[in-house]
Amino acid sequence: MDYFADGFTRAVALLLALDPETFSAVWTTASVTALALAASLILGLPLGFALGHFRFPGRRGARLFVDWMLSLPTVVIGLIVYALLTARGPLGQWGLLFSVPGMALGLTLLGLPIIIAMTATAVESTDTRLTRAVLSLGADRWQLLAATLLEARFAMALAAATAFGRIVSEVGIAMMVGGNIKWQTRTITTAIALETGKGEFATGIALGIVLMIVALVVNLLVGLLRGRANGSPGVRQGGRSASGAAGRGGRP
Amino acid sequence: MSAPLYRLRGVEAAYNGAVVLSVPELDVARGGILGLAGHNGSGKSTLLGLLGFLLAPRAGELVFDGQRVDAAALRVGHLLRRRAVLLGQDTCLLKRSVAANVAYGLRLRGQDAPEPLLAQALALVGLDFAAFGQRPWRELSGGEARRVALAARLVLRPEALLLDEPTAGLDRASTAHVKAAALAARRDQGTTLVIASHDVDWLKSCADAVLLLEDGRITGAL
Repeated sequence: MDYFADGFTRAVALLLALDPETFSAVWTTASVTALALAASLILGLPLGFALGHFRFPGRRGARLFVDWMLSLPTVVIGLIVYALLTARGPLGQWGLLFSVPGMALGLTLLGLPIIIAMTATAVESTDTRLTRAVLSLGADRWQLLAATLLEARFAMALAAATAFGRIVSEVGIAMMVGGNIKWQTRTITTAIALETGKGEFATGIALGIVLMIVALVVNLLVGLLRGRANGSPGVRQGGRSASGAAGRGGRP
Repeated sequence: MSAPLYRLRGVEAAYNGAVVLSVPELDVARGGILGLAGHNGSGKSTLLGLLGFLLAPRAGELVFDGQRVDAAALRVGHLLRRRAVLLGQDTCLLKRSVAANVAYGLRLRGQDAPEPLLAQALALVGLDFAAFGQRPWRELSGGEARRVALAARLVLRPEALLLDEPTAGLDRASTAHVKAAALAARRDQGTTLVIASHDVDWLKSCADAVLLLEDGRITGAL
């Protein structure tokens, strides 16, 4: 127990002293997470919207593929991205292996299915509840699309927060594709793994504290957004209650 | 006598290939009140869906204000739906404030939504704009939400207002407000009302005619 308490005390001292090595890992984590989340959102939101809104041949297969991607082990994603980025791989000439952009590419593959799947689900559920009401008020096709997107905004923000939490805490892809290079590609999670292995318990705890604070903030945000996204209307659910978009999904 | 607002001849509606509503002949008088009674699944909501241009007839002729509603007309169905507005069975509000919900239909039409107009619409359903205007959707009771949804349609001053079980599940006070607001729309704006309800006594007291639907067919009048 003393060992743990001593480690915790030294960890706090490292954080308060703005230890460069510790904050290098924090900065790298922030950079790679921002890049990966931005790419996941830019690609995932329109794809998720299309998957949830439009009916097209192969839609079920596409949905199955996205759900499958959700369950892919991160080491497998790391392996695939490593194979793509290595010197002999198809993207080898870009020199992305063991770089922040390379890690971001791998982590995008982790975040993208989350954004697509959650956005598609949000749009699907919003569509069935909302379409009749918005159309009955006189909306044309484009106004219906705009209303659907706007009504799904909390759910899409929830998807972004969920993907962020997954990306920021990932270790397998970051380790394999980034190489855990000090001052360059070492993230919070890979640093924790390394420092703990070296017996540098304090640094590991210091980084762990940062990660847990981030996780706490993300979870608070997710909880808030989930409440907003689930604020379904129509049926009073006791006392003052949600009254958002609702309607009949099936036949009238 | 003016031409009817709706004219249906041999109209059929179908879901997944199965005919669920068959209306050999029906005229809905302009400025009148038509009541629809019948048990659940009798076809009332389907008929309202046709009259609200949310469903396309599988067969027959549906004419609205002299215009035949065919596939070409339904391709720009929003132009028709801006004249005949449906309030569905389940309350449906956008995840916005009460004022934004009431203003939404006007915005869709590219019209201004001045506060006095919104306040007037809310007053019709017994809601005070000062108290409710900025209230978010999630802070409304079921009855308040239904009244806001009705206000959002009344503010549009539609030619036809189609109400599907407008008082179902509401308490006495909300029911009274909804009934009064609907009848005021007809009295003050000449709006044609088509009301589907299990409240047969109310329908008989206010409607020019009450049709009984059973298993997708009009079987008589009450």
